[in-house]
Amino acid sequence: MSQENVNKLWTPASHGLTSRRDFLTAAGAGVGLAAANMTILDLLKTPSLAAEMKSSRKHVILLWLAGGASQLETWDPKPGRPTGGPFRAIDTNVSGVQISELMPKMAQRMDKVAVVRSLNTRVADHGGGADIMETGRAVEQGLPYPDLGALMAHELGRIDSQVPDYVSMYSSTEGRRRGTSGFLGGRYAPMFLTEQMVPENLRRPEQLVEHDQTRRLELRSFLANRFQQGRPDLALSSHASAYQRVRGLMASEKLFDIEQEPAEMRAKYGPTQFGEQCLVARRLVEAGVPFVKVARAWWDSHGQNFETHLELVAELDHVLSTLMDDLADRGLLQDTLIVTLSEFGRTPNINPSLGRDHFASAWSSVLIGAGVQGGAVWGKSDENGQTVADGEVKAGDLFATIYEAVGIDHKKEFHVGSRPIPITDFGCAPIQKLLA
Amino acid sequence: MASVFPALAGLLVGACYSASLFGEDHSPVPLVSTINEELAATLTKANQNPAPPAPATTYLRRVTYDLAGRPPSAAELTAFLADSSPESRRLLVDRLLASPDFPWHHANELDSWLMPRERSRNDWRDYLVNAARENRPWDQMFAEMLIGKEDNPAQAGALQFLKVRAKDLDALTDETSRIFFGIAVNCAKCHDHPLVDDWTQDHYYGLSRFFERTYLTKNNRLAEKPFGEVAFKTTAGEERKARFMFLTGATVEEPVVDWSAERKKEIEELIRKAQQDDQQSPPVAEFSPRMQLVDLALSPENRLFFARSIVNRTWARFFGRGLVMPLDQLHSSNPASHPALFDALTEDMIANGYDVKRLIRAIVLTDAYARGSAWLEESEPPPPELYAVAALRPMTPRQFAMGLLVAGQSPKAFSDQVQSANWPAVRHSFEGQSAGWASMFEQPGEHFQVSVDEALFFSNGTRIQNEVLRDAGNSLIGVLKTIAEPREAVRVAMLQILNREPADEELDYLAATIPAEGDVRIAALRNLVWSLVASPELRFNY
Repeated sequence: MSQENVNKLWTPASHGLTSRRDFLTAAGAGVGLAAANMTILDLLKTPSLAAEMKSSRKHVILLWLAGGASQLETWDPKPGRPTGGPFRAIDTNVSGVQISELMPKMAQRMDKVAVVRSLNTRVADHGGGADIMETGRAVEQGLPYPDLGALMAHELGRIDSQVPDYVSMYSSTEGRRRGTSGFLGGRYAPMFLTEQMVPENLRRPEQLVEHDQTRRLELRSFLANRFQQGRPDLALSSHASAYQRVRGLMASEKLFDIEQEPAEMRAKYGPTQFGEQCLVARRLVEAGVPFVKVARAWWDSHGQNFETHLELVAELDHVLSTLMDDLADRGLLQDTLIVTLSEFGRTPNINPSLGRDHFASAWSSVLIGAGVQGGAVWGKSDENGQTVADGEVKAGDLFATIYEAVGIDHKKEFHVGSRPIPITDFGCAPIQKLLA
Repeated sequence: MASVFPALAGLLVGACYSASLFGEDHSPVPLVSTINEELAATLTKANQNPAPPAPATTYLRRVTYDLAGRPPSAAELTAFLADSSPESRRLLVDRLLASPDFPWHHANELDSWLMPRERSRNDWRDYLVNAARENRPWDQMFAEMLIGKEDNPAQAGALQFLKVRAKDLDALTDETSRIFFGIAVNCAKCHDHPLVDDWTQDHYYGLSRFFERTYLTKNNRLAEKPFGEVAFKTTAGEERKARFMFLTGATVEEPVVDWSAERKKEIEELIRKAQQDDQQSPPVAEFSPRMQLVDLALSPENRLFFARSIVNRTWARFFGRGLVMPLDQLHSSNPASHPALFDALTEDMIANGYDVKRLIRAIVLTDAYARGSAWLEESEPPPPELYAVAALRPMTPRQFAMGLLVAGQSPKAFSDQVQSANWPAVRHSFEGQSAGWASMFEQPGEHFQVSVDEALFFSNGTRIQNEVLRDAGNSLIGVLKTIAEPREAVRVAMLQILNREPADEELDYLAATIPAEGDVRIAALRNLVWSLVASPELRFNY
């Protein structure tokens, strides 16, 4: 392909290379580099890119606690304070660190968990909060920024992957958002599951026999190869690579089928939808999917906060601890980062309906697994949880930490047209203390 | 080339509804030679040969998708190939521009550009289609979108442009600037523009001040408050009040009105009521900032941004890239690839009353537009700003939807429809049908990539199976079933879907997959048709 075609794309300016993926898109389509991954090709071009190597084979599972989970009933309890609510705090296996009594299982695993207790993300409406917490920055007009999943799919995925590289499960209708790949383009859009546990159009229709489908793809390739002659174009290559991935993705259908798991394993995760989806997430990660989002709704407890959290936190405690153990048993936890995020947290003040409202000024999130310093706690809210008392963290800081945890240089830049777009929001940096 | 469908060719005699309107005019099409000469000069300077002209079939397909938003019918193809006159392309272009198709397609293009995120409302779409039908000047459309009258049915739909953005001052400011003036000014919101000296925070907030007073009433009418300020903090920490300032630095002073605190309070109360009660009309503002913006932006001293932006966007629509790239960076430190040409086209746009169709007509008749899109030389492909090779452009969702709709039809039935007096109504109904298909595809942007979802939808989705691959008598496969000779079946399918004759190699390869008879014949025909609709050739305008 021409240098001009390469140059017009966003390139990671941090090391002045042609974008890894774009290079591959073109090369993969024309030359057929089977099973090549970005890292290998980079190494072909530039011999010493340790950071790039580090990010190979990493995965992220995002647990999206839709509606806004309470930090006080999870990671930042305030027992005995007017804002504390009815639940106690309990000791954990990390000395000096207490969490809510609703999470006894996680309490025994805090040595593997890094906690942020000082998120101040300012925006406390669902749409605006989700915009910030999906992308790590405020919305900017005219620049559709990719969400975390799309960015991870771009950075951690393989161009010719036989599995999806961004799967998003969101069964609730409340607060449902599809996610966006922004300026990275449709190649990185999520495979989005709503009603069913299996993605749409993954299964061959009954009236089409396999032989015919194979024939169709052969005929298509024949026509496509002719058409591609003399047309080194990235959009055209993406058409080819999309079709090249069809059979592999169809074969990944079984990854979504938890019937394939032993009954014992399914029992561990439990019969809840959240548990089953997390089991699917583990199956996907095990098969090489770089990013899976599992959304659990609906945490928006303006009334009856404590009943809501009694139920949802107990489930989170069970499913999250099971997922951690399962990944660890398979040797996957060291390469898989689990993150919990919400639009925001909940007010320390308890309203007359015994609810807690939207609150973005001092809330919590946890990171577990790959690249994370287990047992670390960053930041403090004040004694009633109303403000950040120490170590304020913005959404961009948390995202920079996530990038570094899976080996992505947080200073990396995309180029959109002539404009450099840093992957980390302006003025933000990773929380080093939480990184291993 | 022999006539593809001898039976259909006869239908064409005298059937082209509008060619006669233009057939007499042999004067040169304005701007064509200007563009040809300027582009040829840069090729010479770069010592670069251009790609050879595209074959006639390719040109017909390209320009029909570009002006009519649909593929040519088999009969149109036969007629065009049969016309060897030197005027054939101009007649074709003028016929397409005058066809009932053009306003639909032009409106779709404007819609995806002006409302990239919204599902369009009917009054907005009607506005665009009607404006396209009468080739309404672009400056008039701009004024209607910014200060149209709610009570004027011909203008009210235009106000949707502001209404969908009315709650977001940044969107009003930035998208108006980006779309109409070709300037992304939002980089100057938090600080003076880091790369471009032209823009400071004063410009950003100055532009936003024209929109700051705009609000929606409860009954969804646009109104402006009679007073209101925009204050901002400079990077030095200074509090500053924005002036009404255009991108050129030109400002407007508001007549001083000494609002008493009481009167102000009364008016604010009226505004609040109008926002909450759908019976309450908003208080009248004597001074309309948006009207001031329209006047400023179109005034002879300031109109270059407006004129250059529509020229650049129109150019990009047909060439796949603007004379200035990116399209929203039309500032002094980002020169055009062909500065003299850009100036000439901009002057012509102003001198001819912002007649966008005039520029479109010229562009599609240039040598560069008519070139082949493949570079088959040994040498590296020339850089795109030389226009030595025609651009490969992904179809818009609407174009692709029309391609798929037509692909499933019987060639004769479609040809007959296009020729019939009833075509305007049929085209309208196609528009409705294509909307559903179109919603499944992504609007191509600068870094467009085809998603795997699309490939899965084609591979396994029931809609392709049930609609494009159905075998009823009036469908393509229904027709192919009746053609005994496999090679002829391949020809008919390829002409209908890809609008060209198959190459010998294609004919040999594809025909060999189709048995002359037997149970598997229909399955083989479906496989053939599927491979054509899923091929990149249908997905791109090339």
